[in-house]
Amino acid sequence: MRYLFILFLACQQLGFAQQTLLIDAYGHYNSTGVKRQITDAFLYGGLIDSSHIQTSLSRLGARNTFGLNMGLNAQWQTPWLLSKDTDKWGSSYRLVMGAGVHQYGGIQFSKDLFGLVFQGGLPYLSDTLDLSGLKVEATTFTKIGFGLVNNLTQSSFLVHFVGVQNHLSAFMNAATWYQDASTAQIDLALNGQAQINASNTMAYGLALDLDYRFGSAEYDEAPQQFQLLVQNFGIARAKQTTEYSLDGALQYAGNSLAAWQQTSLDELATGFLDSLGYEKNSVQKWIFLPAQIQLAKVCDWERPNRIEAYYGAQFILRQTYIPFVYAGAHFKVKKAWQTGVGMAYGGFGGLRAQAYSAIRFKRSQLLLRSDNIALQNGASLYLQFRCDF
Amino acid sequence: MQRSSKMFKMRLFIFLIVYTFFFSSCKKEATRWHSDWLLPVMKDTLSLSNYYNDSTLSITGSQININLSRTLLDLGLSDLIEIPDTSISQQYQANFTVSNVSPGFTFVNSLKNHELDLGDIQLKEVRVQSGQVELKVYNPLNTAVLYQIELPGVSQNGQVFVQNYTAAAGSVQNPTVAIETINLSGYDIDLSGQQGLEFNQIQSKLTLKTDPNGQTVTIYNNQIFKFEAAFKNLRFDYAKGYFGSTLIANQQQFSLPYLDKITSGSIALPDLNLSLQVENGFKMAVRAQIAQMVSTNTQGQAVELTAPSIGPSMFLAAAMGTWNNLQPSSLTLQFDANNSNVKDYLENLGAYHNITYQLQPNPWGNTSAGHDEAFAHSRLRLKVSAQMPMALNADGLTLQDTFDIDLSQDLNKSHITGATLLLDATNAFPVACDIVLYLMKDGQVAHTIIADAQLAASTLGQLDPLDGLLKKKSKIKIVLPPSVVADLQDLNQVAVSASFSTTDPQTGLATQQAIQANAFLALQIQMQLQTQIRP
Repeated sequence: MRYLFILFLACQQLGFAQQTLLIDAYGHYNSTGVKRQITDAFLYGGLIDSSHIQTSLSRLGARNTFGLNMGLNAQWQTPWLLSKDTDKWGSSYRLVMGAGVHQYGGIQFSKDLFGLVFQGGLPYLSDTLDLSGLKVEATTFTKIGFGLVNNLTQSSFLVHFVGVQNHLSAFMNAATWYQDASTAQIDLALNGQAQINASNTMAYGLALDLDYRFGSAEYDEAPQQFQLLVQNFGIARAKQTTEYSLDGALQYAGNSLAAWQQTSLDELATGFLDSLGYEKNSVQKWIFLPAQIQLAKVCDWERPNRIEAYYGAQFILRQTYIPFVYAGAHFKVKKAWQTGVGMAYGGFGGLRAQAYSAIRFKRSQLLLRSDNIALQNGASLYLQFRCDF
Repeated sequence: MQRSSKMFKMRLFIFLIVYTFFFSSCKKEATRWHSDWLLPVMKDTLSLSNYYNDSTLSITGSQININLSRTLLDLGLSDLIEIPDTSISQQYQANFTVSNVSPGFTFVNSLKNHELDLGDIQLKEVRVQSGQVELKVYNPLNTAVLYQIELPGVSQNGQVFVQNYTAAAGSVQNPTVAIETINLSGYDIDLSGQQGLEFNQIQSKLTLKTDPNGQTVTIYNNQIFKFEAAFKNLRFDYAKGYFGSTLIANQQQFSLPYLDKITSGSIALPDLNLSLQVENGFKMAVRAQIAQMVSTNTQGQAVELTAPSIGPSMFLAAAMGTWNNLQPSSLTLQFDANNSNVKDYLENLGAYHNITYQLQPNPWGNTSAGHDEAFAHSRLRLKVSAQMPMALNADGLTLQDTFDIDLSQDLNKSHITGATLLLDATNAFPVACDIVLYLMKDGQVAHTIIADAQLAASTLGQLDPLDGLLKKKSKIKIVLPPSVVADLQDLNQVAVSASFSTTDPQTGLATQQAIQANAFLALQIQMQLQTQIRP
């Protein structure tokens, strides 16, 4: 009977108390020079036309970036207060539960590497190609956790248990490719490392999410609010990371007839790897998650101004991610519809146009945002749904 | 309240539809792009330098001479004289019961002769190069017995072969058995018997003594004391005696590499001398006979070598000397254009050669009174040697070889869409070569790929003042267009056909061309590939 009563109280609280559902979904991919048609071919399939490759190549600088960041976060701000005693600080905090899946992939590469990969070695005979500076980072992980949210400020703090499904970190310090036009001899020098965690060797760890809202005294009636958003700040332990390293040079001008008679293709490949100083080890590693830190001005629905400025900056703890900054103008078109346009720079790409729209219903709110509305070298979409019930 | 909940569900439904539409992009086809690569495949210089001064080729001035010397038959002592695995045994059985035999009592000390069955071979003495004897003793007595086995004719460095064993107590039903294997390498075996006048005789002597520390026993007449000696895998490096006169009649077949790939065309060779030499390193007379020598080419045409010396018997005297100064006797048969059809025989380009021969030791019987001798390095050999200038007249001489191929590609992964084989050659041989590839499925030609140019002969080139050689450079392309590459999936054989000609640049006719000394063919092969990459 006592359990039934507790269940009745819980249902009553669920039914009548304030609770919120927040869903964020985002997907961005961009590059400093690679045409969108090329990345679209990777995302949606299809043949990459050689003219797109040629155009991209002409637009690339010595060092270039391409990346993809996508994910889905869900958060349930429960009706359960930490304390019902209004005199206690806990009465301002509700229990919040969250879960999400994130995928980060970024690559920094030289123009020469792009050309070699997408055009082959034939167009580059007698040219020394600089393949150094290659960095590849990719991480896929899921998280589930709980925390507290402040009813008044909407600041929240969550602790997540994290499972890393895939992780790749690779870099090439020094690498050159040269092929002689007359003899076709290939001179290849490589120095680099790669660490890979496949999906069958999951890594587990912890991560923190922090959403801290704070205000300024610019307007007495409605203080200006800022948001410090830290997501996926954490670390995971991989018990079996495969580590590859290359440090050597290879010269290959073809085998002699006798060597071909005595050598199989497998032996030839093994010989190449030996020349390049190939090593493979299994090690234990800590994996730093691609933590995202964002500081942004929060546009208040209730402010009287029809136009106001918005701005912000975002960092991801990855070498392949350039700090992302944005700024623009926020318009209050109607009471239930606010929108904004601006410019953004960084992340995986250069300067591009940004726009968003937010629609507010009676008990819910939908936000659609794109950091690249002109689809310049990529695409971007951010979708947020909030429902108070 | 109910209406609000309904609205919420509707909005959530719309949101999920929008989300699903945004994130669930269907991957309709694979990502792919084209790239072009140049791969070095082979870089080599083919020359005849490896054959100079190894009894194949020699250089005289600016000309190469073929100075071929090959051994067709090589028989040694072990091939002619062989003792099959043989067992000898000696036993003792008391005629009556002997009671109260005290410890340490010697009750047998007897010598026995054994005769080896070697057919018509009568050996007086041999030295073992390798082989072993397995000794086995049986003790039926209820006390330990000391066995001493002596092989009086078997010795090493003057020491007679003696082995002692102690066999533990046994019984009539279950005699104790002791076994040991002894390496006989280096042992001399005197097979001439006790008087030194016999042959194929080996003696053994068995001595038995009861255990000096054992008990007093009774030897019954049903107790058999026995030893067995099994000689195994004996090979000799010296033998003396009469080696018999067993006829060795045989047919030897040998094939010449590459000649079995000739499908058409012909060559003409300059005049040459061919000799067959029979060598006898045994101290016995030998009769030799080359009964027949036939060359058969890939078209099935057979040419039999005819000469006065093919057919009749030849007799070789015994070798002279001994171990270090052995002088084999030999007999040489010469074949040239005047006494044989050897030129026709070789121009037949026979891939398969059959030689039928007979060898007979001691054709007149035991005329040496059992003094035939063979040493470690005594050989009975049949050698062939040929001398001629290295020159030939090739007229469309076509070599074709077929290889199984598996060029299937997974078209759902990165694969080749087109290929071109680039051959860059410098030829110092006076032979031009046309290359054709036949791509086949189950023996049926599906595609014929013809090289776009000929590998030109050096006679069309210029003299290089640095090395004094005529050289000609050629660039050849063998193109496998995408339509052919697409078919490679279904093909399982490739036939490579190379047609050689020694064409005179002035007349355009096939003429005899001498191969330049130090001639070479420098080859550089590259593969130009068009690929479709599918990550």
